[in-house]
Amino acid sequence: MNELEILTLTPLFAGLFLLLIYEVVPSSTKKQAVDLIKYANMGIAVLLFGLATQIGLENDWLSTWSAGSFGAQGSYLLESEYTSLIPSIGVNWHVGIDALSYPMIWLTTLLIPISMLVQWDAPKGAQFHSLILLMEGALLGVFAVLDLFLFYVYWELTLVPMFFLILVWGGEDRRYAAMKFFIYTFAASILMLIGILIVYFHSSPVSGISGTLTHHHFDIPLLMQQSSLISSAGLRTVVFLLMLVGFATKMPSVPVHTWLPDAHVQAPTAGSMLLAGVMLKMGAYGFLRIAVSLFPQETITMIPLLVFLGMASLFYGAWVCLGQTNLKRMVAYSSVSHMGLIFLGIATMQPLGIAGALFMMFAHGIISPLLFAVCGSFKHHYHTLEIGSMRGLAHHSPFMAGHMMLGWMASLGLPLMAGFVAEVAIMIAFWMTFGWWVLIPALTLILTAGYYLWSMQRTIFESGDPHHGILPDTMHGEKPRDVTWHENAGMFILGCLAILFGILPALFFEMMSNWSTGLVSEIMIDALTALGVTP
Amino acid sequence: MNIESPLLAHPLLVESLRPEVTIIVGILLLIIVPNLGNATFRIPMTQFRIPVFLGGERFRATSDPLIPGVISMFTLLLAMASSLMTFVEGAALSTVCISANGAIQQGCAGSSDYILRSDAFSRIFTSIFNFALLVGTAAMINRMPAKADAKAPHPDSSDSFKARAIRVLLNNRRQGDFHLLVLFVALGMSIVALSTNLFLLFVGLELASLAIYVLVAFMKEENTSGEAATKYFLTGSVASAITLYGMSLLYIWSGSATDYASATLNLTGPQGLAATWAGMETLDPLAAIGFGMLLVGFGFKVSAVPFHFAAPDAYSGTSSPMASILATASKAMGFAALLRVLVVMTGPEFGSAAFWLPLLGILSVITMTWGNLAALSTQNPKRMLAYSSVAHAGYLLAALAALGSGLASESVNELLITAVVFHLLVLAFFKSGAFLVLTMTEIRDDSSSMESLYGLGRRDPIIAVAMFVFMLALAGVPPLSGFLSKFLVIDGIISASTGSGSISATGAIAWLSSVHWIFWLAISMALNSALSLFYYLRIGQVMFFEKSKSILPLPDAPMIRITVILCLILTVIAGIGPFSQTLVDMATMAAQHLLKV
Repeated sequence: MNELEILTLTPLFAGLFLLLIYEVVPSSTKKQAVDLIKYANMGIAVLLFGLATQIGLENDWLSTWSAGSFGAQGSYLLESEYTSLIPSIGVNWHVGIDALSYPMIWLTTLLIPISMLVQWDAPKGAQFHSLILLMEGALLGVFAVLDLFLFYVYWELTLVPMFFLILVWGGEDRRYAAMKFFIYTFAASILMLIGILIVYFHSSPVSGISGTLTHHHFDIPLLMQQSSLISSAGLRTVVFLLMLVGFATKMPSVPVHTWLPDAHVQAPTAGSMLLAGVMLKMGAYGFLRIAVSLFPQETITMIPLLVFLGMASLFYGAWVCLGQTNLKRMVAYSSVSHMGLIFLGIATMQPLGIAGALFMMFAHGIISPLLFAVCGSFKHHYHTLEIGSMRGLAHHSPFMAGHMMLGWMASLGLPLMAGFVAEVAIMIAFWMTFGWWVLIPALTLILTAGYYLWSMQRTIFESGDPHHGILPDTMHGEKPRDVTWHENAGMFILGCLAILFGILPALFFEMMSNWSTGLVSEIMIDALTALGVTP
Repeated sequence: MNIESPLLAHPLLVESLRPEVTIIVGILLLIIVPNLGNATFRIPMTQFRIPVFLGGERFRATSDPLIPGVISMFTLLLAMASSLMTFVEGAALSTVCISANGAIQQGCAGSSDYILRSDAFSRIFTSIFNFALLVGTAAMINRMPAKADAKAPHPDSSDSFKARAIRVLLNNRRQGDFHLLVLFVALGMSIVALSTNLFLLFVGLELASLAIYVLVAFMKEENTSGEAATKYFLTGSVASAITLYGMSLLYIWSGSATDYASATLNLTGPQGLAATWAGMETLDPLAAIGFGMLLVGFGFKVSAVPFHFAAPDAYSGTSSPMASILATASKAMGFAALLRVLVVMTGPEFGSAAFWLPLLGILSVITMTWGNLAALSTQNPKRMLAYSSVAHAGYLLAALAALGSGLASESVNELLITAVVFHLLVLAFFKSGAFLVLTMTEIRDDSSSMESLYGLGRRDPIIAVAMFVFMLALAGVPPLSGFLSKFLVIDGIISASTGSGSISATGAIAWLSSVHWIFWLAISMALNSALSLFYYLRIGQVMFFEKSKSILPLPDAPMIRITVILCLILTVIAGIGPFSQTLVDMATMAAQHLLKV
């Protein structure tokens, strides 16, 4: 048991245990049990964040970490021994972190306590917080395991708590949204599973790791070391496309993004925060970890497709945002737009561009939860999400207005904030690879600024009457309030981090550029040579 | 026929047939113990009375209506444990063959015309039978509760109270009958698993079947039981008759036209059916027809299309514990017989396909698709499970078809048989578990409509979660045991169809057109699994998201609860971890023994 295994398994079992324990306590003590379970969940989540940070501190934030050849067995930090889970078919418990997964793990452990904090007063709190802890276990599993089978299991496991979070704590139309979310992502991941199985059937036997009956294995590092994984180029393309569909749906990229706005609008605040903050990143993470790492040649031949998908998401997301009247829906579409930038960053095939994409994942993981937290508290206190139904927020809820402004600015890419670093890195790399085509994504960013500023103007300011503002009808004469202390605290932490990583991006950018340099120099160059292109 | 050694006195006999001997002892105990009484025999013309213990006024302790259930559970538990001992002792020690002339031999080297063979293959199946029957018996203890101090209802009491009191009295009366029949089922099934002689196999099949017909009708106060049993009996007996006729044709075929002295129903041996079959140059129509008729009876037992029509009625009409026995033990018996006959008798040489390959391949696709489509459209959870059982038979038939393709190497054949045996093994965990949960809803109200499961998540969260896990296992969701077994089947088929299991054609389309058609069986299995997810998840949906009609909690039913939890644990740990490997190793050993015959 190393630290990483403790980090991965604790939330899963603790969450399950706390969920069950609530069911069995006698009804007379349920009230006290709720508080106790909430504090236990929060305590565990904070401790796990401490552990994840500790791992980073101990290893100098992975900036100088290097061992073995890129992606191969032994090149991972805190890599566990192989423990056979299903020996007959070659499923092994094998976890490890590298600079691709560490930021995501750190981000997950950070967002879990914050999302708990933001919805500290959620109804049915015991189950709510236990489900979030369970969610953490599933998410950390996705980022930590190095076995395709377990990756798939954890990938599907993340659906379960999120499904229930939407279904039980969601808005008016939650049933539809939950089912749509589940069916969409489940169907897509079945395609991914088919891809995984085709890869599996091509793995060559490794004694002690391959299945005793089937002589194949699921281990990602070993698959990366295996030369000519699938000899048929046609089949390789099929597998790559299957995986691309699976991952692009999760990311989500146009045209398979339609589940996202519904799920976001209906999900509870904490659910939205995790959905946007971490779950969307699973798509990009899986794409880089599996599709790109195992099939570099196909990635290179598919660059036009990636650019097209990225551009389409970026532009379409921003365009649709301009027309949104629902605040949360707008933020959801802005996520689609920002995820497009990740594809663009990967498509540059430059270390800088890929590092920019990684930093985009990270920065968006800090900023979008802030946006959703603001939306959530807006809905909580004003009972509506209509842009323009409420004017002069700055007057009634100055804190909320402040957080909103900070979040919106961070998301539109204001310099000295986290989003800016990622955008600049991607744009520079894009220019280096594609030349003046960079104008299309760069000009689209103006749209981004447009919809954010416009929505801000119509919500925070423009009260007409500086002393009263306009209150939405849904208030029914209720007095407008400001954010509660726990919402305030959660948003404050996120806002500070958005600024911190804008000023000091090196903390994570360093390890990310290490990883992307490794990917390009050790995998992509070989693939290019194999394709007959001189880099 | 001269008896070479006194068979019954042979020490190996009892040792090799320990499970069966246990069951016979259990049967005798079940007959004797409840009838123990204080009867005495007076020696004529004296006043001496010798107690004979049978008859008279029965003793209070031994005539307790709980006793039969306890005896039968212990018997099955012991029989299962002694079956499993085979795998502890190792193969060489426990492989014992018994010939028709009474010769009994350890290791089975010289005696090749044996009729009974106790090896890892037969023992893993007897373990499955005994486990499945044990689960059914445990459920029956709460489904048909026995109360020692039951009294006749007072004439003034209300009708519903009267009905309940009468039911308790009825339950007390029939405890013995039920458990006795269950033990007969166990004995008959064990004979099927052990026999390498078709006639003996038929005897075992009929012994089990006849007892099962009665058991299906056992809850006679319910209208549906009688109907279900009648349908099941009629179709079943027709299937048996056809099987028997097929056997007689095979018997005639095995002898030469004029000399019936060499005719035999033994599968093995120099003159056995397997040797005759292998020596046949062109397919003899007599043999083909006889063999085909044989398949009808086995097809009925495994509920393969088109012999499955009675299954949904039988499952939904009878009590849930009985349905669980039909879906697990009875199905496993059918597959044990099928495997023995298909592999030992007509197993193809490497490189040449068996003549039944297209038949079985097409039947498997139709069976799985029909089962899943029918299950999708039914509103009765028991019928749904019955159709899902049909679909599962289709998956296993696909594996058998891959065996018949003759493309598979020895190790792939082993993998395919392992997959089939392992699937039947884990099916006994989650299919029984699902039926046990239905038993719990059945005790107070009925379980033949989806409404009975509405809101189960709120009424009894733990049982509902268990049911949900069983459904996921049936659907084959990783990492549960249902996934592993399906995965092994698919892996076996793909390995067989692509030869070595690695693909080397240049283009995907070119490869697909070059591959043997049994590859599409694996694809059809994968698509069917995806299709089946809809109706399995529907159970989860109604349990957690529909409002329940009944506000009563589920009955206590401690035995069922314990067994459900046990099944739940087994379902999970048989899919992942070292225990799964133990089970897979056992199944592999069974497969090796079957192929060695």
